[in-house]
This record gives sequence, C-alpha cells and structure tokens, in this order.
Amino acid sequence: MENREKLKKVVEDVFLLQPGEFRFDLRRDEVETWDSFGVVSLAVGIQETFGYHFSPAEASGISSVADIITLLSAKGIKFDN
Amino acid sequence: MTIDLPPRWSLDQLRQRATSGVVVWATLSVRTRLRDVLPWPAVEPAQSLGADAEWLVVVGGGGLIDEAKALRESRPGLKLVVIPSIWGSGAEASPIIVLSRAGRKEIKISPSARPDAVVYWPELSKSVPAERQRAACGDCWAHALEGFLSPLASPELRNALAKVIQRILALPLGFDAQWFEMSALACAGQSLAGVGLVHGIAHTLEAPLREQQPERGWHHAKLCSTFLEPVMRLNQAGSDKWNQLLTEHRLPEKEVWTTLRALFEPDSFRAALPVLRQEWRGVLRDSCSRTNSVLVRPDWLERFECLTLP
Repeated sequence: MENREKLKKVVEDVFLLQPGEFRFDLRRDEVETWDSFGVVSLAVGIQETFGYHFSPAEASGISSVADIITLLSAKGIKFDN
Repeated sequence: MTIDLPPRWSLDQLRQRATSGVVVWATLSVRTRLRDVLPWPAVEPAQSLGADAEWLVVVGGGGLIDEAKALRESRPGLKLVVIPSIWGSGAEASPIIVLSRAGRKEIKISPSARPDAVVYWPELSKSVPAERQRAACGDCWAHALEGFLSPLASPELRNALAKVIQRILALPLGFDAQWFEMSALACAGQSLAGVGLVHGIAHTLEAPLREQQPERGWHHAKLCSTFLEPVMRLNQAGSDKWNQLLTEHRLPEKEVWTTLRALFEPDSFRAALPVLRQEWRGVLRDSCSRTNSVLVRPDWLERFECLTLP
C-alpha cells in the first residue's frame, strides 16, 4: 500500500470517518473527533504506520491532513501523487 | 518518581480530628459494622449535605467515593475522608471522578477532587465474595497495565507503575491488605497518563450489560477482569510496544499472562460479545479507548470475536 493510502486509512480509523468523508485537504475543524484524544490517537497511529513519533508539540500543532504530510515528508517519508 | 497518595490516617486519627459537623455516607452492607468503630451514625448517601456539614466520611466502593468527590467539588472547604470497602478502583487516591449518569460514564478531572485523607480498614473487605475480590484485583491490574502502556506515560511514570506491577504479581488474586495500597498507586499513577481500551469497553458496556444481563451481576471491576486479557492480546498483536516495554522494565511476561488468564472469565466474555458488537461504535469513541497504547481500529471487533481463548 502506498503511503497516501496508508495515511488515508490511519486518518479514517483514528477519527472514525465514514466512507467518502476523507479528503487530503481535510482540516481539523471539520472533524468532530479531532479533539485532544484524537491527537493522541493520531500520534499512536502514525507511529505504528510510519514509524515516526510526533513530539507533543508537533502532534498538537497539526491542523490538517496536509500538515501531517508536510511533517512526515520533512522526515523523509514520501507521499508522491 | 514516587506516585503521590493522599495522607493515610488510622481510625483513631479520624475520630480525633473530625470533631464536629461529621456526616458519614456508607453503603448498606457495611453500616452495621461501622456502629462499633465510628461515633457518628451512617446515613443514606445523598446528593446534598446540610449547611453545617464540615466533614464527609465515605465508606464504600469506587462509585460512592466518586459521588462524594463530585459533591465536594461544589462544597469547597468540606473535608473528605474515604474508607474504601474494597480495593480495586483506587478512587480514594485519584483526582478523577467517574460518574454514572443516564447510562453513560461522565469523567472529570480536578486536582481538588482528591480526598483529604484515606483510612484503610481491610477487615471490611474480608467478607466480600471471592468472585468480587478477584474482580477487584482485575480492576487494579487494568489500571496498572493500561497506565504503564499508555502513550501519555512518561518514562518515570512507567518505572513507577512497573514497580507496582512487580508487587501485585506477588499478591494472591483474593484478599490481601496490600491490595489497598497497590490499587491506590495504580489508580493515582494512571490518572497521570490515562487508561485504554479495557476501560473504554468497561465504561461503555456497563449500563447495557446490567440492563440486558441482570443475572450476571456486571460491574466495572468484573468488566475489567473479563476484558483485560483479550485487550492485552490484541495490544500485543497490534504493536511491538507491549514486548518492548515489558522487556525494558524487566517485567516477566509469562507470569503477567498467567495472571491475566487467571482473571479471565470465558463465560462472561462470550456473554458480553454480542453487547460489545452492539456498542462497538461507542467503545471506539470513548475517550479511554482513544488513549489506548495501540490504535484501536474499527476492525478490532472481528479480532475479539476470533480470539482463541478457553
């Protein structure tokens, strides 16, 4: 599975999204379950999937799926279209 | 790091210090025994206290203790002393308040919620049925393990909780006065990091199970005991974190699994599965499930149903 697909699956599972709800331009303020617990859960899911552990500041500073891609890309994880 | 606990008093110290305006809330099962040791009559727990109340002494389990902690939040200055009637919840040692409201669990955290003092009177729990005592051990184990594995636990807290796990490994799964202190440490420890899926399941399923299966006598500790091994099996399968952390902290994996198996109730687990399926969405949304050590994915429900257990 490509990294974009892996990321989509993690975000869907973490935030309990319904089919069709995920978008790569999804923002935190559009997702009811993207609260402080969701931030913890997202960090756990990203570590399990990509092996990168967000610092608390990084995790709480993420406000969109695009931010996740930017952060992980900076760590060498590629998200080619 | 040392896990901070409320001051521990003896019954004598309580009698000497609480000199006026004392109200005693006690569960029915212990009221008769209290008459011999406390100079104040025990009353039916209520949602309000008289204006002259200065002390609230609570004798009971975690649910009653948390009701008292919630009441004290609206009565600053009221001194709260807790005598747990059974170990397990450790509610006497934590700033967390878990309230049952309209079939749901409401969780609040307030530093001022922690009781002012705790009196341990282990004899109260000697007459508790063995099944209930064993479940109380499971409650303590769930706090210790889920706090230890929590993604929010600091290395220092993990060290402290690993020591608690080492100590409870040596205890019988039944009456032992040391369970009170261990439960307090486990609960106060997990309050700094959160728990996980065992508690997400317990909080979500308790009300529907009580309603749908009254004959089984479901309660929080029984749910923790029943789901502790299955959840830990899934945690272990879902990530290498389980093995890494146990090895790092020199916790004997085989002995831990043996204990979790001893706590496991296969009949209860099988009976709870249909309700787990019915409530699964709620379990996933529960705040405790969302701080589980491993990401709880929607397809975990099928994994529960496929677990090979006795």
